[in-house]
Amino acid sequence: MAERETSRYIDETASDWIARLDRGPLSEEESQAFEAWLSGDARRRGALLRANAISMMSESARALGPDFEPRQFASAPVAKPPLLSRRRVMAMAGVGGIAAASIVALGINTPAAGAITTGVGEVRLVKLDDGSTVMLNTQTSVKIRYSNAVRRVELLYGEAYFTVADDRRRPFLVETSGTSVRATQAAFLVRRIEGKPVDILVDQGGATAGIAGTPAPIPMQAHSRLLIPLSPATAASAAPAGAAPAPRTVSSDLVSRALAWRDGKIAFEGERLDQAAAEFARYSKVRIEIADPDLAREPVTGLFAARDPVGFGRTVASIFDARMDQQGGAVILSRSAPRKKFSS
Amino acid sequence: MYAIDRERTRWFLREILPHEPALRGWLSRRPTADLDIDDVIQEAYAILADLETVDDIRHPRAYLFQVAWSVIVKRLRRARVVPIHAIEDLARFDHPDSSPSPEQIAIDRDQLGRLAQAIGAMPAKTQEAFVLRRVEGLSQREISARMSISENTVEKHISRGLRFLADWFGYGGKALANGSREKESEMASVDGRARNQSVH
Repeated sequence: MAERETSRYIDETASDWIARLDRGPLSEEESQAFEAWLSGDARRRGALLRANAISMMSESARALGPDFEPRQFASAPVAKPPLLSRRRVMAMAGVGGIAAASIVALGINTPAAGAITTGVGEVRLVKLDDGSTVMLNTQTSVKIRYSNAVRRVELLYGEAYFTVADDRRRPFLVETSGTSVRATQAAFLVRRIEGKPVDILVDQGGATAGIAGTPAPIPMQAHSRLLIPLSPATAASAAPAGAAPAPRTVSSDLVSRALAWRDGKIAFEGERLDQAAAEFARYSKVRIEIADPDLAREPVTGLFAARDPVGFGRTVASIFDARMDQQGGAVILSRSAPRKKFSS
Repeated sequence: MYAIDRERTRWFLREILPHEPALRGWLSRRPTADLDIDDVIQEAYAILADLETVDDIRHPRAYLFQVAWSVIVKRLRRARVVPIHAIEDLARFDHPDSSPSPEQIAIDRDQLGRLAQAIGAMPAKTQEAFVLRRVEGLSQREISARMSISENTVEKHISRGLRFLADWFGYGGKALANGSREKESEMASVDGRARNQSVH
């Protein structure tokens, strides 16, 4: 014991403990041994945190679905590509149910005029002339209107992530439904979905939000979010005069979740199952119906492939001991007679 | 015991672990005397595990590099840890890896695809156990029945699978990507007995 443990040995022991914890609850004796181990060399706590994080990350393998065939991945070229090439995306698409496959087009050049629009389940990265980029989520439409004085982009509907290249002489302006977001160098998300407040989330840098009918632009910092009521008219009637909506600071966790769609994923952190189903409806024509009100209230946590509602349904069914049926274009989740897992 | 706190672990997974390959690269280019990089990383992670809160860490990547650097400084000078809690000034911290662009982040977070690749490269038995546990969601006990092996052996396969992933992601997939086949046969031959010897 006097000898200093190697880092490799500590890593192995940490993995052993996580695997042991994964097996089931510790006995009294084991708990004491675990505590004793942890209270020793400080490096053990670091190694345990890392091993546990790896274990947590591997939980998302669930989203690969029961059709996952690991050998197909083993034989695929696995050298780390510097960029996600189109060919690789296609290769992965062929393996079925892989989240990354939903990025269907990368590096599309700016069309001269007209709107850029994505369909259901499509994510598209658009490079603009000045080096800025716009990433469009599912069912989104934008119009690019650059001039010598201003880089103007109109978000007609949907959700887009803007990465603004630095140009102090020409501000970058995103306009949508009586709201505008102005920045010189920033990365931010703007969401405009019918029946919902306009949602602005600043990821990096800073921006100012201007709202029709409010006197001063609202400054926003990195990791802040601003929700703007449906229309200036309703905003005016719902709030006392002069009371502009205020940005809230949000955790980096929330930012990651809000941006998970850029990787073709949807992240949930305790949302109700029916809300989760509504989110999936944005990305796929397959509807998820929940037949049981209790089941609809169950909280969902995890990272899922946005374009695989069937895989999501399957996972949910097995977690909540529910039943999944497919009828036509719908996935139906119910909680009647519990069936054995993976009996199909 | 922050090391197994789920919130801390989730934060670590999202904000810290993706930067490990870059941190390794950076440490390997530093005059770190005879320090073992893995030692430094474990100590840095231990500091992150022991922090009262991580809420005020605005730039996790820069913070990680600072903590790692403080570990080195502490070792080299045998001094106390330089106070690192309040340092948030990115500009003052000189490290060569500028923050990746959002596109690069998006691709780095392509974890599911990488996870599928990593699982695909595991040794056969470990892979089988790992897929049953993590993809199909069977318990270790159910896996033991399915594979006709003892629960202890299942547990060992899970542990080995986790270490395999740790190596894969910690080195950015490179170490194993270059020769997954050789690695596989090597690991297969190490199966069981040899590993127990290394434990004792």
